[in-house]
Amino acid sequence: MNQETITLTEDEKDVLQELMNIAYGSATTVIAEMLDAFASLSIPKIEILKTTSLLAKFDDLKSTSYFFSTQAFMGEFSGESVFFINKVSANNLAQHLELENNEDIHDAILELTNVLTSSLTTRLAQEMKTEITYSSPNISEISLEQIADTQTFKNYSQVIVIYIQINFKDQKINGEIFILTKDGSIQWLKQRLNSILAALI
Amino acid sequence: MAQTKIEQYISCIDIDKKLISNINNGILILDDKLTIYYFNKWLELHTKLKEQDVLYKQLDTIFTTIKTKTLIRKIKTALNIGSPTFYIADISKYLIPIKINQIKASNYTYMQQDVSIIPFDKTKKIVALIITDQTNISNTNSLLKANINKVNILNNELVKERDTINKKVLLIKIDTNNIIQNVSQAYLELIKYDKNELLQHDYFEYLRPFTKEKLLQDIKKYMKSKTVFKFEQKFFTKRKQEIWLKNTLLPEYDNFGNHIGFIFFKENITASKKLQLHQKKLLVHSRLVAKREMISMIAHQWRQPLSVITANISNLIISKELDTLTNETIDKSYEQILTTISSLSDTIDFFRDFFNPCKSLSETYLNELTNKSVYLLKNDFKKYNINYIEEMDQNLKIVTYKNELVQTLMSILKNSLDALLEIKIKNKNIILKAFKKNNYINIMIIDNAGSINKETLNQIFEPYFSTKSKNGSGLGLYMCKIIVKDYLNGHISLSSHKNETKVLIKLPLTIH
Repeated sequence: MNQETITLTEDEKDVLQELMNIAYGSATTVIAEMLDAFASLSIPKIEILKTTSLLAKFDDLKSTSYFFSTQAFMGEFSGESVFFINKVSANNLAQHLELENNEDIHDAILELTNVLTSSLTTRLAQEMKTEITYSSPNISEISLEQIADTQTFKNYSQVIVIYIQINFKDQKINGEIFILTKDGSIQWLKQRLNSILAALI
Repeated sequence: MAQTKIEQYISCIDIDKKLISNINNGILILDDKLTIYYFNKWLELHTKLKEQDVLYKQLDTIFTTIKTKTLIRKIKTALNIGSPTFYIADISKYLIPIKINQIKASNYTYMQQDVSIIPFDKTKKIVALIITDQTNISNTNSLLKANINKVNILNNELVKERDTINKKVLLIKIDTNNIIQNVSQAYLELIKYDKNELLQHDYFEYLRPFTKEKLLQDIKKYMKSKTVFKFEQKFFTKRKQEIWLKNTLLPEYDNFGNHIGFIFFKENITASKKLQLHQKKLLVHSRLVAKREMISMIAHQWRQPLSVITANISNLIISKELDTLTNETIDKSYEQILTTISSLSDTIDFFRDFFNPCKSLSETYLNELTNKSVYLLKNDFKKYNINYIEEMDQNLKIVTYKNELVQTLMSILKNSLDALLEIKIKNKNIILKAFKKNNYINIMIIDNAGSINKETLNQIFEPYFSTKSKNGSGLGLYMCKIIVKDYLNGHISLSSHKNETKVLIKLPLTIH
């Protein structure tokens, strides 16, 4: 694991922010179509964090019980998305989709995770002229104390966190998605962002 | 260059079609209305349906368990986002119902499936469904889940036990260099130290030098003998408070059997130690009381012989004044005075060593001890018409601390005498019976001085409890109990029925 501290310059951050803005715009449309509802996504926040700081960030979501789902994406730009949705929102989502049972709720959350991950990262990948593939998403109803023990997070020394809030105002559905990229991918991302920067000048 | 047979073969076939036909996955091509356009060989084999029978039909009309709305939504989403959507076996179980006949460790009737819905042609709204058999993984997952639950339950129990041990058990762990590795919260609270003040410090730093040397030697011996090593220890807390600890030492080994240190399990015995010291003080005090009583009894015993001597001397003086003194009178008086003085001397000799506690055990005839116990009381028995009866085998022997037993018997007999003096009945009796039963000697002292009420019986062996109106220290029976129990390894009880009160002392034939 690369223990060196990698940082993004202000310029690199700006380019990534622009790319994410494009990606989140298209994701908003896709989600609205999928759910046949008006969704608003917050403007993505981008940070490079140590895993410990990330877990502290997750800790802020502790106030309500929640579902926690993840989905890996692979390619030159690889990583994992983490989606949090509280139980009230999950139930509202189930109601909106007219789902019948608990398993269907889980399926819908996974679908939402998949849609968010795919729509955000596919567009980002397109902008960076690369391709990515996706593993199937996973869901678990676990406590934050257990998240800290989750191997997933031990595999990262530092992560680029792209944090977006999703809000379906009418349906009262809120969620948070974190796009996390691995150490090696951060290096790749820096190179690619610099190429884009060079092309712009 | 000429092509090989394999090269020729490969160049002639449609690899993609052959692969899809033979792949170990189900492959379906559908549009967003669920019309089937392709149904591969794997699906034919597993569903027992031929492709020509299902082509251009609606998938949900062939497999009615499919939730149409969900599948259409997933297809549309996949087409929309341009990347796959999924059904996950863990959650959705299966899309196409395929019965399985696995016997070994299968929790499922139907094949568990992961399904990837891949956008195939966005304009024609066609997708490909790739179905993967996940039954084995699902079986393993459910087995894992069950075991994780068990492990979690066990882990919770262990955590609870560890917490309980930490809070309730006094323990300290040291490594082979005597460095403290862990201390329980309970022990820290007792000794008023902070954990950081002890961890990584030498355990023996907190002991007095003599204790340290002695303890180290004992530990070495213990390690050789492999026996459980227990020791008592006086310790001063951080606040200089004296406490007594009983230690049980256990060696600790790692997973490979290497000795890595010791665990001291400690028990706070300060209260019982204080009680022991208190009892010792009471014993000394009771001996003084017994000594005072005995001196009083000896003085009482001497009064009569002294009267005899006085009478003889007076007789001699009067006879001389009346001039009737003869040699015979002188000789007779002289002899009577000598005999009486000798009996006085015997009394002193008899009790000369009584006041020193016996330091060693000795074998004695029991009747010698009862004779000694009753020696100073006999005259009063006679004086107050009390029948004293002894019933025992004259050859009954006991190995015990003699003086302690005499003190106990004398105290009980004196109690019976005092009780009988307070009542008016015709036949006053004190019976001392002794007999051997198994490896014990039972000694019973029974008097007919009336019954004792239940409330008094419950308190009779308590210290400073007395029923005597005066001269009662309240220590007599309490000390009898302490002596019998702690020094003579026996048991004492008192019962009262009708007009009789019975004290039973059960003593081992030999104290080990």
